[in-house]
Amino acid sequence: MMDLAKRVIKQTVNDKRSIMMILVAPLLILTLVYFLLGDSNYKPTVGIEKGSLPEPLVTAMEEQHMHIKKLPSEAFDEPESYLKKHEAVDALFEMNDSSVSITLVESSTKGAKAMTAIQDALADVNPAAKMNISYVYGDADQTLFDSLGYVFLALFSFFLIFIISGMALVRERSGGTLERLLMTPIKRSEVILGYTLGYSVFAVVQAILIVLYAVYVLDLSSAGHIGWIFVMMVLLAIVAVSFGAMISVFARSELQVVQLIPFTIIPQVFFSGLIPLDLIPYHLGNLCYIMPIYYGAAAIKGIMVYGDGFAGIWMYLAGLLGFVLILFLINMQAMKKFRRL
Amino acid sequence: MIEVENLYKKFGKHPVIQGISMTIPPSEICCLLGPSGSGKTTLIRLMIGVIVGDEGTVKIDDVNMPNLSMLGDIGFMPQNDALYDDLSAEDNLRFFGGLQQMKKAALEARMNDVLALVDLTAHRKKMVRDFSGGMKKRLSLAASILHSPKILFLDEPTVGIDPVLKRTIWNQFQELKHAGTTIIVSTHVMDEVTECDKAALIYNGRLIAYDAVTALLAETTSGKVEELFIMASEKEGARL
Ligand SMILES: Nc1ncnc2c1ncn2[C@@H]1O[C@H](COP(=O)(O)OP(=O)(O)OP(=O)(O)O)[C@@H](O)[C@H]1O
Ligand SMILES: [Mg+2]
Repeated sequence: MMDLAKRVIKQTVNDKRSIMMILVAPLLILTLVYFLLGDSNYKPTVGIEKGSLPEPLVTAMEEQHMHIKKLPSEAFDEPESYLKKHEAVDALFEMNDSSVSITLVESSTKGAKAMTAIQDALADVNPAAKMNISYVYGDADQTLFDSLGYVFLALFSFFLIFIISGMALVRERSGGTLERLLMTPIKRSEVILGYTLGYSVFAVVQAILIVLYAVYVLDLSSAGHIGWIFVMMVLLAIVAVSFGAMISVFARSELQVVQLIPFTIIPQVFFSGLIPLDLIPYHLGNLCYIMPIYYGAAAIKGIMVYGDGFAGIWMYLAGLLGFVLILFLINMQAMKKFRRL
Repeated sequence: MIEVENLYKKFGKHPVIQGISMTIPPSEICCLLGPSGSGKTTLIRLMIGVIVGDEGTVKIDDVNMPNLSMLGDIGFMPQNDALYDDLSAEDNLRFFGGLQQMKKAALEARMNDVLALVDLTAHRKKMVRDFSGGMKKRLSLAASILHSPKILFLDEPTVGIDPVLKRTIWNQFQELKHAGTTIIVSTHVMDEVTECDKAALIYNGRLIAYDAVTALLAETTSGKVEELFIMASEKEGARL
């Protein structure tokens, strides 16, 4: 078993692309995500009718984080067609005796920024309209990266290790080395454990690197102890190795591992927390219970957002351990295809 | 001693081994001879127990195969190279030796021997991905004899190896035989047959002749192995 684990480590270290994929790629993608989801400082452009708004409101709007564009009244006859023609304007704002109307190009981040800026301006003029919003977890300054970053931690530890280990196992099969190693007195359980152990080493290094980078370089905030994040990430990666081993039984070539991604990885992405599960219709959200990533992502969210410790995440931990156990038994059976003993 | 009895194997609907029975006595070299696709590789894989026959039995030293504890006594060189590209030559050997539960010191000493035998000592630290086809073949051979098995299965071991080295390797096989190793070797190369004690002619998954090489050659007019083959396949054709 140790021989196998040592070999897996040496073999992976000797393959520079694998190392890049496990260690460098996650940091690169995480950095990219950080800039994509981070605070963009976008200044929305809001169109108002020249001379129609009360002067104090216009002043209040100018103090807010937005560009004001004074437009002739024709623009407000058909606000939709105006916005379609003028891409630079994000919203039209008009006010008459009875109502306030705002037309947005689309319900996007840009639209939301325009809305917030207008609301803040209105609240400045009329303090009665002021809303006090406070958060139980996190605060208003949190960027999208802060609230979704944890999803990526879970995705990386699962996906990359799955690909690397699944491919290596398929190569072992197609190259005949599996047959050769099964011609030695090694036990089936030792083969599976040896593999898992070998890749776990990379999982640990990867988890340490990603978490330290996310927390200390990208400033991803964590309410709970980051030690628990390591534990969950490594456990998730161990599930990924077992999962990769199982997939390699069904795939005959490395290409086929890639072809199986739509069935193995993509559904899990949806249940990793990108979409709030209780918003998914027809109780399909319950499918999450068969997806390992859900357990990892939910626990990591618990730790980073709610500050959970062992008491808060033990169910997820147990869930992942359950996966490890079940996949181990499945793999023991599947290996019989290659050697009955 | 290897005893094969009434062995059948189908892949899907396609029958590949159709009722082979043969006994290979210890300390002999037995070659499996047959055209491409006749079932040589499949027969070897059945004998060592990587695959299991639909019918029939294989016994090695009176133990029914497949058997885990027998595997330590068996050496197997597959037809493809079956090596790890991302490991150096010596790390490949170290790995397979380790799986055979060889002790570290014994393993290192034996590695020096087998690497010298296949003439790879100078390349032992090189990655296998940088090896030529023939070098891989030689390393694969080294890996299969590393743990000094009692029974050695070699699937076309000398393809792509130059005549001089081939000579050395065959000399080594003879030495192993005299030391008590049983060797089963599949081949296409006719001049290797005369190195063997027994030859098994396989055609379409059937054993159409199995005897001492000298006896088989005595039946032919020219004394050449090729003729043996043509005769045998004609005989088989007539029967079908
Ligand atoms: N795993 C497998 N699945 C399906 N068919 C197989 C499998 N292995 C072998 N066969 C078929 O069995 C037949 C015999 O193959 P085998 O590899 O034993 O031939 P061989 O005598 O070793 O040929 P060669 O000299 O070319 O190596 C072939 O028709 C091959 O297609
Ligand atoms: Mg063959």
